[in-house]
Amino acid sequence: MTALLPAFLLLCLLAGGIKRVPLYDAFLSGAKQGLCTAKTILPALIAMLCAIRAFSACGLMEEFCRFCAPFFARFGIPEETIPLMLLRPVSGSASLAVLREILENYGPDSRIGLVASVMMGSSETVFYTCGVYLGAAGVKKSRHIIPASLLAWLAGSLAAGWLI
Amino acid sequence: MLHILFGGFMGMALLWGLIQGEGERVVSAVLSGAEDGITTALSLAGGFAFFCGMMEILARAGGMEWLKRRAAPCLRILLGKSLPDEALSPVAMNLAANLLGLGNAATPMGIEAARRMARGDTASNALCMFLVINASSVQLMPTTVIALRAAAGSASPGSITGPTLLATLFSTMIGILSCKLLEGRA
Repeated sequence: MTALLPAFLLLCLLAGGIKRVPLYDAFLSGAKQGLCTAKTILPALIAMLCAIRAFSACGLMEEFCRFCAPFFARFGIPEETIPLMLLRPVSGSASLAVLREILENYGPDSRIGLVASVMMGSSETVFYTCGVYLGAAGVKKSRHIIPASLLAWLAGSLAAGWLI
Repeated sequence: MLHILFGGFMGMALLWGLIQGEGERVVSAVLSGAEDGITTALSLAGGFAFFCGMMEILARAGGMEWLKRRAAPCLRILLGKSLPDEALSPVAMNLAANLLGLGNAATPMGIEAARRMARGDTASNALCMFLVINASSVQLMPTTVIALRAAAGSASPGSITGPTLLATLFSTMIGILSCKLLEGRA
């Protein structure tokens, strides 16, 4: 698995070499595009991060967790993992921090630790991904992207409770 | 939807902060978020530039054409008829990189794919499906989680690989299904 990326990169170089591609020129023009991409996602990135930070700092998240816990407990999801579940689609770095805390407090091989680990791996940061991709593409009307992605997130989180 | 999301998150946070008398904390969180946006984009920029540079070499060597021919039939089934030809190879590269857990390589390809799929300001069915698949995670090996578990002293850090794969498959399946159901409504 770890050899995959270097092997792939070597393959790119070899393919370029065999086809007599001017390697350095091609790399530079691609890199230029990559930098432009990074520049175009900036406004969307800032907008999403501001909104997400505001929401996780204001304390509504904790209220929401307390409100939801009894409901999800019925599906076999431990109360301790609810904050992780709710944070997962919102922020990647915050949910990683919460996962680390859970693993340290309850042990990585306890049921709580296992459910939390599966939860983390079963979903992505929905809002961030959608905000950045759509922002870069200049798409304003996202139609059913967010609802469908959230359904997928819910399915993954519930599955974590069932499978462990 | 993005308007509602941005306004909703931000508005609720500010309102709740004011009610609790902690408006200032919310504002400082917002500003630190803005700052992080810049640092994140800057730290992403290097990786973006590198991967896009390597992809350009591969593209000029004809690798993208090759991939396009191989991946076209199954991508057309997955993403539907509204998938334009020129988006085929970045979509294939993005999904492959996501499967292998190479987030740094997946993002610039995904953005390129989204840009080539975009027609005006409304997301097409293909773009919706592509984003839902991206947002539901299709990683084969949860490498970050395994590393965290190992660091926390787990007896078998990799034991969650099977269940995680099942949960991911399930969530992606639900995402694809609900995407198909919801797109018919419009």
